[in-house]
Amino acid sequence: MKIKNIYKFLFAAILALQLSACDNNTEAEPKFDQTPTERLNARKTELSEALLSSPEGWKAVYFTDNTILGGYTHLFKFFADGSVEMASDFDTTTSRFKSEYQIQLGTTVSVVFTTKNRIHLLSDSNDYPIDALESEGYRGDFQFLYYGQENGEIIFRTNRNNQELRFVKATKEDWDNLSQNFDMIPNIIGDPSLGLYRGLETNDGTTKKTYDFNPFSTITRYTTIADAAGVYDMGIGYAPNGIVVSPAIVVGNQKLSNFIFNEADGSFTAKGTGNVSATIKYSDVPFLITTDYKIMLQKPTTAFGYIAANLAAAPSNSLLYRTLLNEINASLPSTQKVNRVQFTFNDAAGDSYIAYTFTGGKTTIYHNITVAEDAVNKTLKLVSGTWENNVGVAIPEPALLKNLDAELTNPKGLYVRKESFTFNASNTIYTFANSNNNGFRMTTYAFQ
Amino acid sequence: MKIKYKNIAILLLISLLSFSCANDDRPGDSQLDYNEPVKTALDTWIATTYLNPYNINVQYKWNQNTVDNSRFLFPPTVDKVQPALEIVETIWLKSYATVGGADFVKKIAPREIVLVGGVNLNSVGTRTLGIAEGGQRVTLFETDYIDQSDRENVSEFIHTIQHEYIHILNQHKPFDEKSWSAITPGGYVADWYNYSIPASNEIGFITSYARSNINEDFAETASMILIYSKAEYEAFLDGIEDPTAYAALKAKEALVVKYFKEAFDMDFYALRDAAEINTSSVITN
Repeated sequence: MKIKNIYKFLFAAILALQLSACDNNTEAEPKFDQTPTERLNARKTELSEALLSSPEGWKAVYFTDNTILGGYTHLFKFFADGSVEMASDFDTTTSRFKSEYQIQLGTTVSVVFTTKNRIHLLSDSNDYPIDALESEGYRGDFQFLYYGQENGEIIFRTNRNNQELRFVKATKEDWDNLSQNFDMIPNIIGDPSLGLYRGLETNDGTTKKTYDFNPFSTITRYTTIADAAGVYDMGIGYAPNGIVVSPAIVVGNQKLSNFIFNEADGSFTAKGTGNVSATIKYSDVPFLITTDYKIMLQKPTTAFGYIAANLAAAPSNSLLYRTLLNEINASLPSTQKVNRVQFTFNDAAGDSYIAYTFTGGKTTIYHNITVAEDAVNKTLKLVSGTWENNVGVAIPEPALLKNLDAELTNPKGLYVRKESFTFNASNTIYTFANSNNNGFRMTTYAFQ
Repeated sequence: MKIKYKNIAILLLISLLSFSCANDDRPGDSQLDYNEPVKTALDTWIATTYLNPYNINVQYKWNQNTVDNSRFLFPPTVDKVQPALEIVETIWLKSYATVGGADFVKKIAPREIVLVGGVNLNSVGTRTLGIAEGGQRVTLFETDYIDQSDRENVSEFIHTIQHEYIHILNQHKPFDEKSWSAITPGGYVADWYNYSIPASNEIGFITSYARSNINEDFAETASMILIYSKAEYEAFLDGIEDPTAYAALKAKEALVVKYFKEAFDMDFYALRDAAEINTSSVITN
């Protein structure tokens, strides 16, 4: 090729380059209509407007960690000048307090409560409800990342541990009635006179499922529910007319979390659509009948004891059991009380017995028993044998213990349940209930 | 013909280069919000008391970038901010200004003070009262719990800022670490919180925390002497029974005094006396 031609082609090529150099079409195809900054600014405006939009502000029931704690209701009223009024049911001071907030731009848009108010009570390393939370307070956060809006609710995720938190529009009643949340606590703790057992019954329209509802801790606002397959978390938040639970109870494909209290029978019911519902209620019949008694039928030796000093206040003791204990105590001199009611099954000699021990110097009384089962009805039968005093001398059946002992050795047997809660000690709890469902249920520690 | 051809081409190129990009959009206003946030009376007070005279920024509103997000802390109650800062100003800034000269703290000071309302409780049960970072920022905790009517309470808070400021000074000019580490070499332990203060005193440490390492030992020794009055410190020394411990404490004190003299030409005892006067004025007020 001639030099001249090379120049020609070079010029043509350079010209072509020059002509296309400023072509707007060389930009990468935009995936969004706006630049990232414009979009972040738009989100910021969107959140700011949303926070200011609700006339009575916003309500959030904040479950900081539903594997150990319950929910804390917070009400917020945001103002355009950067101030916010807040009330919470963290404690009984439910009045409004004012502080400041900011909408901050970080990795995403977030609302931050920048000066102290009620929500910060959940994030005080020095104020923790149980030892396991030492230096973590209530594991709360007060910076919430904005994730959008849905059905009039604002969806946030907490900054620290990325949990969803929804702000729902508050009403005037929410503010006025916040202090009534505390009136619900006795209803959640429960009333033994309403029934021997508490359970959760779910109904998906065709099938019912039941769970034990375990004793509720007001310190952590937390409990568990249990079925034969396992134990499940239940954080509870208070409301004037009921409770909010987290995680939500899944029935069919619906999630139920708002339970309404029924004064008539002490139950709490959450209703879904169709015939879907979940109810926390009382019953004199166990929600779950198990074969937890099997370990009592053979060696190794097992022992289970009611210890008055530790277990007298256990909610799983029935009224009838308490009454029978009180009767015994009332017929003893004032310095003496029932100390323990304790089972030993299959000791070294192969014997089983109930030991009744007392405080105030009264000696122990033993009732020898033989152990059997009713495999069909899943009950443990304690068949009455001889009575002995503390030095092994046979004695006639003491009138003092007759009524209580009759419950334990009733011919139909006892329902035995290895419970999934503890009370005043780390020992596993076993309860023994009369299978006649007559209202007798006693709480014991397992000693193995 | 050859040349003409070239010239035309070059002319064309130049003209293209000159004009081709002339119609680009000019940049508009910034999309970032650079409006100054609304200033409260407190913000104005901070500007006139800290920012303008000392070039120290005070941050009391929560900013996750200046605190440890793994800790469960919270911002101060607004009403508690000014009282806390007044104590810091009177006992720390004014004492150093009196003894070191008006410009001393302006030159060597943290550029930012971060206030945190809550207690910074550690999992072993100890409380972190303050943190000095890189000679630039001091974080003070527990500002919600300051009680000006309680000398012990104010002393603990002031201890924190004095302690952290000693760190800042050390970060500017190091102390004689070699001589210091020779005084009580066997006393430094990681689990200092398992030892009582009197027990630590009797082996030559002014507090138990001083036993964590020589840097903390220096900061604790200097800051404790500053928050003691002269009489209190002498009484403290008189109470030490072990002669070796007494000698160690005196040797450390001498190194602190030497450090202030050599590094900053400052009379440490005069500083202690100024701090004592200012502390009393805060508490009696």
